[in-house]
Parts: sequence; C-alpha cells; structure tokens
Amino acid sequence: MKIVINEQNRRNFVSQVESMLHDKLSKCYQCGKCSAGCPVNFEMDYTPNQIIKMTELGMEHTVLNSKTIWLCVSCNTCSTRCPKGFEVAEIMDVLREIAEKRGINSKVEKEIRMFHEVFLNNVKSNGRIFELELVGKYKLKTRHLFRDVFLAPKMIEKGKLKMHGEKISDLNRIAKIFKDFE
Amino acid sequence: MKLAYYPGCSLKGTSFEYEVSLLKILEVLNIEIKEIPDWNCCGASAAHSINHNLSVALPARNLAIAENGGYESILAPCAACSNRLKTASYELKTDDILKDKVVNSLGMPYAAGIDINNMLEFLSGVVGEDKIKSMVKKPLNGLKVASYYGCLLVRPPKIMQFDDPENPVLMDDLVALTGADPVDYSYKTECCGAINSLSNPDVVTTLTGNILYDIKKHGADLIVVACPLCHSNLDVRQREIERKYGEKIGLPILFVTELLGLSFGIDPKDLAIDGHMVAADKVLKKIKEL
Repeated sequence: MKIVINEQNRRNFVSQVESMLHDKLSKCYQCGKCSAGCPVNFEMDYTPNQIIKMTELGMEHTVLNSKTIWLCVSCNTCSTRCPKGFEVAEIMDVLREIAEKRGINSKVEKEIRMFHEVFLNNVKSNGRIFELELVGKYKLKTRHLFRDVFLAPKMIEKGKLKMHGEKISDLNRIAKIFKDFE
Repeated sequence: MKLAYYPGCSLKGTSFEYEVSLLKILEVLNIEIKEIPDWNCCGASAAHSINHNLSVALPARNLAIAENGGYESILAPCAACSNRLKTASYELKTDDILKDKVVNSLGMPYAAGIDINNMLEFLSGVVGEDKIKSMVKKPLNGLKVASYYGCLLVRPPKIMQFDDPENPVLMDDLVALTGADPVDYSYKTECCGAINSLSNPDVVTTLTGNILYDIKKHGADLIVVACPLCHSNLDVRQREIERKYGEKIGLPILFVTELLGLSFGIDPKDLAIDGHMVAADKVLKKIKEL
C-alpha cells in the first residue's frame, strides 16, 4: 500500500495532536507493551502502538476513521505500563475529539460514538443522567430496539430502573458550561 | 472534619444498593456526610471520550460547590465519579489557562484545594481499620471473598495515587477485617469493559466472562466491588455470560459496603442485598450458619 503524505499536513496534524495531548509522539519507541496488555486488542483494526506511529506519520484519515479509537475502553492499562510514560490512553481521547470536531461520520463503531453523544445530551437536558431516558433514546437512535430488552423486567422488579429522573435546579449553569466548552 | 458526599447518577439508579448500604453503615459508624447541593453528573466516560475541556468543567462545578460550602473532603463512592473528580482536580491544579476558563464558566471561585476520596480510601483512611474492626459483631469466618478493583480506582496511578496499580490490596485488607478470607486471583485490575456496556455488549460479556470464570476457578463464594459499573457488568450480565459460555457461574456480587454491613450484624434487607440480579441467598444462608 502506497500512501503519499504532504509534509506540511503531517506537521500540522502532529502539532495539533501533541498540543492537545501535552506529550511528544516521538517518545514512543514502538515496544508494543501497550498493545500486549490492551483488553480489547482482539477487536481493533490497528493496535495502539500502530495508532501512535501512524499519527506521527501523518496518516490522519486512517487513524481518525479507525475502529481502534472508538473501541478503546479508556482502562488506562497501556499508559500505566508504558516504559516511556507516554499518554497512550489519552491519545485515543484526543483522536476521538478531533474526529468528533471534524464531524467525521465514520461507519465503524458508530454506535459507540452515538452512545457518548446521547449520554452528554442527557446531561445537558437534566444535569444528571436519567438512565431509562438515556437507554430509550440510544435505542431509538441506533434502532437496536430489542437488544438487552430481556434484562428490563427483572431490573424493574429489583428497583434498578427508576421511572422518573431527577433534574438539577441550576440547569442554566449547565447550559452555560456546555456553551463554553462544546 | 466536614465531609461532602457526591453520590453520582448510578447510586440514584441502577446501583441504589450501593447508596442504601453506604448510608446504613455510616449510621452504625456514627459518621455524618452531607450530599453536595444540586450536584451534577461528572460527565463520566462520555465527556472525556469526546471533549476534554467539558470533562474537566462538569466535575469542577461539584468541586467548587463543595469547596465554597466549607467542606474539606469529598466522598465519591462511585469509582468512575471519583476518577473524574480527581482527574478534574489534577487538571485544574496543573493547567492554569484551562482553570481560568472553567472558573469563569462556573461563575464561582475555586481554589483547587478540596480532597477527593473513593470508597476504599474513605473506609481505610477516614473511618480507619480500628473503628471498622471494633464494629464487627458477626465475623464472616471462612467465607471466601474475591475483591475486584477494575480500572478506575487504580489507573492512571499518576492521578489516582491509589495502592499498587497492578496488585492492589486495600479492599482485600477490608475484607480480612470482617473475618472473611480474601481470595487471590489474576484478574483484579483487568477491565470489565464498563464504558461500552450498552454500545458493545459482546466485547463486554467476553471481558467480564474472563474475570468471573477466573474468580470461580479460585473458589470464591462471592465477589466484592466498589464501582457501580463493575457491579452492573458482573451482576446484571452474569446470566447472559453463563448462556454465552454454557457454564454456570452463580457468584453474587456485593458492594464492599454490603459486606461490611453484614459483618456489623445488619439485616441484609437494610443493605438492599435483595436488589441484585444474582441472588445472594446461598451466601446469606452460609453467613447465618457461621
């Protein structure tokens, strides 16, 4: 596979990632320890160390459209074990955030992305999570209407699924926080 | 010491058993905590996954309300909430530019001085082992208990500053105080897949299955946790995992507060142990016969 990368674009992408990450990509010497300990490596299209290298090489289209950035569960095992103290888990946060801000509507793992979006919308409208509403809206959006539904009757019986959510009083402040940082 | 309490959304919903049992044992221990007024969601995994600054600003509002209310320390029993509050506190201490923006957005001062405790730090540090030991009325001698820590209590160690990140023992020590035997096993800090429980359930049942079968193999009677998300995956999805692998597990998952409560001689109903999906009847019977 031949990929042609414009050096100026590469530098721009690397500097955007590094400034958000507060860390240097060149720290990584590709030992692969992050990928060896990653609990979700078996599902990923690129291992975490490959993502770091591809980011450094400026392969932005590939990393921003990868399954890996969405499959990462932020367990932080990689960063904890990195012999160079590189922020491996955080680079996934940074790449997700760039993908989200650029409006990259990748088909891969889009349900994971949608879940984060529906979750934050729920925080925006209530100040807190109303679980039943969160699950309902997520299901409507992904059309997975029946997945996990078998769990509902017993959860309701046990009192785990509340029928009413709580709203905080100072929702204006929450709206301001979202406005300032979204 | 004035203690603020940050329950978080899970303790008011799917993990209500955690709050019920916590409040009950604190009543017995005679320790007073005050819920942070008008607290908001910490943003959980969703915020840091797609918006770093928001993931600092949302918890910061709770930190600022508690600090301005004159509290010195916050108890955040949910591992995810405590992780997000500690991370926000760390970011606000180390990034002055972001701190100015956040304080401005919150419309109230914040000195970044308030201390945050997760459940285990609170129990062993604030309450203290001696006090807990003195309350044990019903020693759980011979009960085999596996402590599952998961990710968010221990990692990243730079910010969490909690025990050994690869082999933590703080919860095992608390288990030992009740008279029960801590079970040693390999998956103490492996991830259950929490964040993607709804959006990627197949991966979550694989990860959680690894943990449950390893604990089963080591002969535990039950598992204790200090995280609502871990609890949800281990408890709520246990039947599904049994069906996936065709092998019975049948391990009740208790919050650490429930196990302490049982050793204090508190009625299981008052600890909401009947609120779990996997029934703890066999274990409760075993305890009764001790």
